[in-house]
Amino acid sequence: MEILTIIYLTYSFIALYFLFLFFLIYIPNRKEMFNFPNLTKEYSLSIVIPCHNEEETIGGTINSLLELDYKGLKKIIVVDDCSTDNSYKVIEAIAKKHPKVMLVKTPKNTGKASGAKNYGAKFVNTELIGFVDADSYPQKDSVNKMVGFFDDIKTGAVTSQVLVKRREKFIEKLQAIEYKIIAFSRKLLGFIDAIYVTPGPLAIYRKEVFDKVGGFDENNLTEDIEITWHIVYSGYNVKMSLPAKAHTISPDNLKDWFKQRIRWNVGGIQTINKYKKTFLKKGMLGNFILPFFLFSWFVGIFGIFILTYRFLRRIFINYFFTAYSIKAQTALLTLRDINLTPNVLVFFGIGILILSLSFTAIVLLHLRETEFKKHGFLNILSYMFVYLLAYPFLLIASIYKFLRKKRSW
Amino acid sequence: MLGNQKNAIWEALLLTIVVFIFGIFLGMAFEDSKFNEINEYYSQSELSLMDVIALNNLLDLKSSDCNLLIKSNTEFADKIYAEATLLEKYESSGKITSTLKIAHKKYDLLRTFLWINSIKIKDKCPKNYSFVVYLYEYEQKDLTQKAKQGVWSNVLFDLKQEEGNKIILIPIAVDSNLTSLNSIVSKFNISEFPVIIINNKDVITELSTTNQLKKYLS
Repeated sequence: MEILTIIYLTYSFIALYFLFLFFLIYIPNRKEMFNFPNLTKEYSLSIVIPCHNEEETIGGTINSLLELDYKGLKKIIVVDDCSTDNSYKVIEAIAKKHPKVMLVKTPKNTGKASGAKNYGAKFVNTELIGFVDADSYPQKDSVNKMVGFFDDIKTGAVTSQVLVKRREKFIEKLQAIEYKIIAFSRKLLGFIDAIYVTPGPLAIYRKEVFDKVGGFDENNLTEDIEITWHIVYSGYNVKMSLPAKAHTISPDNLKDWFKQRIRWNVGGIQTINKYKKTFLKKGMLGNFILPFFLFSWFVGIFGIFILTYRFLRRIFINYFFTAYSIKAQTALLTLRDINLTPNVLVFFGIGILILSLSFTAIVLLHLRETEFKKHGFLNILSYMFVYLLAYPFLLIASIYKFLRKKRSW
Repeated sequence: MLGNQKNAIWEALLLTIVVFIFGIFLGMAFEDSKFNEINEYYSQSELSLMDVIALNNLLDLKSSDCNLLIKSNTEFADKIYAEATLLEKYESSGKITSTLKIAHKKYDLLRTFLWINSIKIKDKCPKNYSFVVYLYEYEQKDLTQKAKQGVWSNVLFDLKQEEGNKIILIPIAVDSNLTSLNSIVSKFNISEFPVIIINNKDVITELSTTNQLKKYLS
């Protein structure tokens, strides 16, 4: 058997494994995906919003929190991380009208979202502490659908379903699909205690646990991944409430999208590096989350090298084939070149494609929204066959950035 | 409950192994079916070859005519050329087993027979027909040579289309490790493949157009 065939078969095996894993978790839990524990106690809650130059969105974010129907919300602490735009004035105007809103300003720009979040956390003395990004909008009932999970004393954090708010541009439409698949997968991973991130648009932590882990790691670019791993490492569970929704502004151009993804990946690498000693140890973190990350990254990067090799090889052969064909005055393409004979790799490919399409369809059917009914078939195909292919390239760029230690928010 | 949920990790692994093994067996069965199909063609071609050789032997007894012999040889050559084209397509589907590679080797042996027979016929029947032997490397690693082989293949296909029964086209992989083939090839002192040998005398190493090749034909 050729080495390339072995590599392709290995990839097929890995893809099948993860698809089966998701299906095997989904099937018995399909009716519980949107379940959440009813409120038995009104936990006191404060929500911190880190803000740096977000004058256009911060007002909307604060207002969405003011509209929350959770009765235990005591304070909304907006941390202005020395913005150079009008953010401070916008926040100040709202704070004057609403006593729940508290405006604080960092002594100097921390340069990172984690810095502003930790600064805001100093002003919190409630049982729970929540964080909402300054460009995100939790739904009115979202917190109510999250807090019940804290009845379990082992629950350290609860995350929500993050959705894309604006879906006008093509890249936003693709991210809208991506975010849903991420949210759904995260919920599935939650059933096996393998949630690896509590994203910034809306996450709530038990304050005691938050303090125990020392808050957010300010040296990490993805403090929301790091704190989740830290919580799991400390023996607590992280839960996901799929019906709790928060909309967020996603990048609307390639440059910003690329920058955001590089930040996510570099932060991921930092987190892996920090917790590498737990590999195959320490419960689900070392036995599943860390290997899952490492494995998927290795597979992605190695895959892109294989694809690049195949692509360059094909270009090289085609170039010489064309040059020789011109010299020999013969056809560049003939009917004989069309070969429709399938092989075992094609069979596996079709199987994986059907499973992937089914999974995507299940996600999109489950996470239907009233305001955005359709994603469009072309967008779904573009997401599956173009957008996802960018991931490994991002990983390579991220490793390069990580090694060059370029880190800022 | 949670403990049971985590079993999904191992259940998924088990399911993947089962599906994967089933898929591999299915792939092997598929490849075997293609091999069997090719083998059937091969058995028929073997019969045709024996028939041509028998005719050739009759020629030694001067009891057969050249026209019939050339016709049979050409038909046989065309038959295995068409089968080789089919085999080439099937070979790309041979990912797990090496059965189709073995089939290729068997056909190379058959074509070596054809070459030897064509040499004999050419000697005995000095008629207006040519045989073109195309020697290439099956396991060609050099990408430029691989591209060249692809173009040679197209040029020869065009030549065959234009000349029809006037030529016998015999493509043979020289790296099949066949003693008989190596013995014939060694007489030509060829250092690099692909090459074209026309009527056992003209060795062409440079890529040529069909019109240039026609000049070497009888």
